[in-house]
Amino acid sequence: MSRQSLAPQLEFLLQEIEGIRIHRKGPRRVRVDLAAETLPALLELLKGRAGYVHLSAITCVDWMEQEEFELVYHLWSYETRVLVMAHIRLPRDPGVYLSVYDLFKPAAFFERDIHEMFGLYFEGSPDMGKFILTEWEGPPPMRKDFDGEAWVMNHFNWQAYHPDWLKEIEAQGGGITTRPEDVRR
Amino acid sequence: MRPENYEAVNHPPSNEFELFFGPNHPGIEGNYALKVKLNGDQVVSARADGGYLHRGFEKLMEGRLWIQNIALVPRICVPDPVPMEVCYSLAVEELGGITVPERAQWIRVLQLELSRIAAHLFTFGGHAATTGMYSNMYWGVADRDQILDLFEELSGGRVYHIYNIPGGVRRDIPTGYLERVTRTLDYIESRLPDYDNLFFTNQVFVQRARGIGAMSQEQALEWGVTGPNLRATGLAFDVRRDDPYLVYDQLEFDIPIEQAGDAWARTLVRRQELVQSIRIVRQVVERLPHVGGPIRALIPNPLAWNLPAGEVYTRVESSKGELAYYVVSTGGDKPYRVHVRGPSAMHAVQVLENLTAHARLEDIAQIMFSLDACPPEVDR
Amino acid sequence: MADIPYKDKGSLLNPLKALQFFARPPVTEPLEPRPASANYRGFHLNDWEKCIGCGTCQKVCDNAAITMVRIPGLPADPAQGIRDQRPAIDYGRCCWCGLCVDICPTASLALSREYVHTCTDAELDSYFVLPDPNGMHGRYYGHGWSKSADSDLVDLQRQAMGELEPSARGDNFREIVAGYDDQQALLEASRCVQCGMCFDACPTHMHAPEYIRAIWEGRVEDAVRWIYRTNPFAHVCGRVCTHRCEEACSLGHRGEPIAIRWLKRYAMDALPPERVKAIAAEGRVATPSGRRVAIVGSGPAGLTAAFDLAKRGHAVTVFEGLPEPGGMPRYGIPEYRLPYARLDQDIDVIRSVGVDIRCSTWVGTDITLEELRRDFDAVVLALGLQFGRSTRIPNSDHPQVRKAVTLLRQATAGEAFGTPRSAVVIGGGNVAMDIARTLARLQRREYGAARVTVTALEARSHFLADAIEVLEAAEEEIEILDARGPRECVVDGAGNLVGLRSWRVKSIFDAQGRFAPVYDESDERLHEAEMVVEAIGQVADTALLGEALTERLEWRRGRLRVDADGRTSEPWLWAAGDMVNGPDVVHAVADGHRVAAGIHAWLEQRESVQ
Repeated sequence: MSRQSLAPQLEFLLQEIEGIRIHRKGPRRVRVDLAAETLPALLELLKGRAGYVHLSAITCVDWMEQEEFELVYHLWSYETRVLVMAHIRLPRDPGVYLSVYDLFKPAAFFERDIHEMFGLYFEGSPDMGKFILTEWEGPPPMRKDFDGEAWVMNHFNWQAYHPDWLKEIEAQGGGITTRPEDVRR
Repeated sequence: MRPENYEAVNHPPSNEFELFFGPNHPGIEGNYALKVKLNGDQVVSARADGGYLHRGFEKLMEGRLWIQNIALVPRICVPDPVPMEVCYSLAVEELGGITVPERAQWIRVLQLELSRIAAHLFTFGGHAATTGMYSNMYWGVADRDQILDLFEELSGGRVYHIYNIPGGVRRDIPTGYLERVTRTLDYIESRLPDYDNLFFTNQVFVQRARGIGAMSQEQALEWGVTGPNLRATGLAFDVRRDDPYLVYDQLEFDIPIEQAGDAWARTLVRRQELVQSIRIVRQVVERLPHVGGPIRALIPNPLAWNLPAGEVYTRVESSKGELAYYVVSTGGDKPYRVHVRGPSAMHAVQVLENLTAHARLEDIAQIMFSLDACPPEVDR
Repeated sequence: MADIPYKDKGSLLNPLKALQFFARPPVTEPLEPRPASANYRGFHLNDWEKCIGCGTCQKVCDNAAITMVRIPGLPADPAQGIRDQRPAIDYGRCCWCGLCVDICPTASLALSREYVHTCTDAELDSYFVLPDPNGMHGRYYGHGWSKSADSDLVDLQRQAMGELEPSARGDNFREIVAGYDDQQALLEASRCVQCGMCFDACPTHMHAPEYIRAIWEGRVEDAVRWIYRTNPFAHVCGRVCTHRCEEACSLGHRGEPIAIRWLKRYAMDALPPERVKAIAAEGRVATPSGRRVAIVGSGPAGLTAAFDLAKRGHAVTVFEGLPEPGGMPRYGIPEYRLPYARLDQDIDVIRSVGVDIRCSTWVGTDITLEELRRDFDAVVLALGLQFGRSTRIPNSDHPQVRKAVTLLRQATAGEAFGTPRSAVVIGGGNVAMDIARTLARLQRREYGAARVTVTALEARSHFLADAIEVLEAAEEEIEILDARGPRECVVDGAGNLVGLRSWRVKSIFDAQGRFAPVYDESDERLHEAEMVVEAIGQVADTALLGEALTERLEWRRGRLRVDADGRTSEPWLWAAGDMVNGPDVVHAVADGHRVAAGIHAWLEQRESVQ
């Protein structure tokens, strides 16, 4: 439950969503966890009755080990000035959810971004085409099972340098002992 | 997209044609492209095309220690890098329960506002150039250079300062620095009448900018517009006032608004914000000598530093709008997820497309610059 | 818009406002290269005198821009924590963030005010630089971003260790050092930059970076596992080791080294004995090899060798003359430094892997070396250095003139030796401090007051004892007189010892570095005491060898000569520990590993004796 009391109106409203868990994180931050099916109702509630007209962002977090995607909807009201972060979890496979574009136009950008970066599909989003990764044929790169560094190591070479000072040192029996890639963690 | 991959669409004979506007075009802010369908000079539709500045920062940050990311984040927004540094540091500090010493907070505000002034000068220059007024562009860039000199003195770098570290800042201000800051502010203030004459109140510009790329407050709210663009439609929302951070609640400043919501109104809002930023910096300069103490809260050895598990959403008002970072920690020495919400994510895509959809070819560049749509923070 | 002078209509005269610029001075930029700011983050400088090649810069670099290069001819001294490596930087990757400068433990790295470099594609090798103090192009532009106290990313202070106050410890043998709690251990372990200097400096190459990291990550069992790879005497070493690791620690160059010894103690103390035994037994060979090894002496060298050999499946029997096993750690080191219970824990673990320790069995009398040679496949001598040397000054054979090692043994065994009301100790090493502080405690217990004086040849700053021992002894009100040489044990007419006469030392070594003390005979003092204790060094008692074997074996400067494996000139006889190397616990452990490895390799190719 909440650690500090919310504006009573907001708390009252939030309780209307079934199964919602509310956690007050700070004077202007509230985290709510709810089932994915109930999110559209929450959004309509907040937008219609608490002035939450601003969708600041939608973040996707890949919880690969738990085989879930987490979507966080960050909502701001210019009136109550409290940020509500709505967290839902979706199964990683099939990785589909519905779009909230009808309620919040900014969702189009984030949903498209999440689609191309994580592979999560949003039904009803106006444009699921690629925006940034238009020439990328590989898997959605922000997924935790995509090892970006390994991909780079396999597709590109480290610049090979042979400066004179190194040749001199090698002639005396010295040389490179530890390369930077040996200490990457 | 690469030009070689571009396939033109076959239209039936008409006046309509598609223009690939960008990505290395003086009329584009940064590296970006607009695929514009034109009927003569009139735009029929426009689609934004990004990705030219995608460096994969969000993924890169997951593979680096908390401290190593301070070198990555300023690069996410090139013209106004300080809010990125501060927002990331604020997120790490909140996750780690680290209290930033007061002196560091004041220094951070100093940086943020100087960066805002520099970014606005840069934007004026860019905007002026899109209407052919190149003198103003040279002035903007040259005057911004004076602020970059101040940053060089403070942080050792002109554009990427890498000066904010979780816990505070990395070095204290040099001796005599505040006098130089004051001199630079005096200089910039003295230049404002010149800028007004040549640009802001110059009829040549006013006639070009008025009514261009206009949006109503309802449209702005619907499209998720923030920052000066929103304030130009009459809504005084500023993260510094409504979701305060650092020591902004101890500072006096106005939030300028305009009503028309067009290119000229947005420019005027920035022009007035510049004055307010100067006002804030002068207050900081007066206060800073009286705020003693350390400039940094001590953090553990960065090579062996785990942050407690949790997630935070920190926001900062950048020169372009509401900048936010969502950072997730799972208790390790690297972030689990960093999501950077740049204000231009809205402005450079949806808003730009919507506003250029009814514009004329010659106004497209001006609309983009008047929105101060910054592609590096869209692409990350 | 109130402050902007806006008019809704233009005017034909407006452009004329531009004419005012003719009256203004132009903006002039100099053509000369522009000097960078004092704090500039330009190209690197590295002071090779200060740089120790630890590679911490490489670890913090977020762009993987730093490569470590070994340069022949540079000083390399593992004991001091200095490597002959220097960082080289790839300027195609470096972003000049300066984190390397802020984390450099020795403050050798800095960024300069130089910022211009141009080259053609063919000259791209010039992007890979080996920074030195002179600048990238051999011209010094001044220091830019350098180490500063504000921004140091290493924590130079170690977690303070709790200790018993002098008033609380003066008359008892309670352990002085409290040990770290979980929070302190975590904080101390987090200071480590994982450079590995400690590993290089340790005589037995303990995996300190790994067990420190394991402690930091809360994996205490893994820490103990790492410890047991090289040291089955870790309860002991975690308390009394001479910590060469800490001398080499890179943070020690400018600050306090990581408390590696205390962290080892923390990990060992943290696990219940049963878990330690289980971890120690990991990797033990299940089937017996059929070979038998005899080890004479149950000190660190002997028992480490026994531990290793028993884990490899050999039948090991350790013969110990004294009633309890442990050797010098038990009978030489007082309990306030090393509680017997902790030593017992280490020995217990060693027993649990199948080592048979037979105490109160003197080789030479209860059983002969010849019998061991006959009945075992190999024999290891790990006798230690049980006899104290004598100064041989006049009357040093008086009954009230004792040897420190003898008294310490008696004190451990609980044998009364007649605690003197006053005593003078000759010597300035750790043994001298041990006996002085032991006597002081016994005196306070029996007489209510302590009167102990220590005299040593060396100046206080050059005492061979650990500085902390000298400090604590002084806190316990022991009088410490430096630069005094013993001349005579003074005996009165009735034949009673009344004290020690000493002269001031003018110098100890001659021009060739030989031991040849020179005294100022005019500065003579009599230190009154009931007992004089000699603590000036130790020798091994090798009588058990017998005359014939002693003749046959090879010796060097009074000690048995052994080869690289620790084997004597007799193929069945090995020697390890203090008797070979001189007194030091961790060296003895390393030696134990050495002979065990040698014996095991040899046994693999041999027929069994039986």
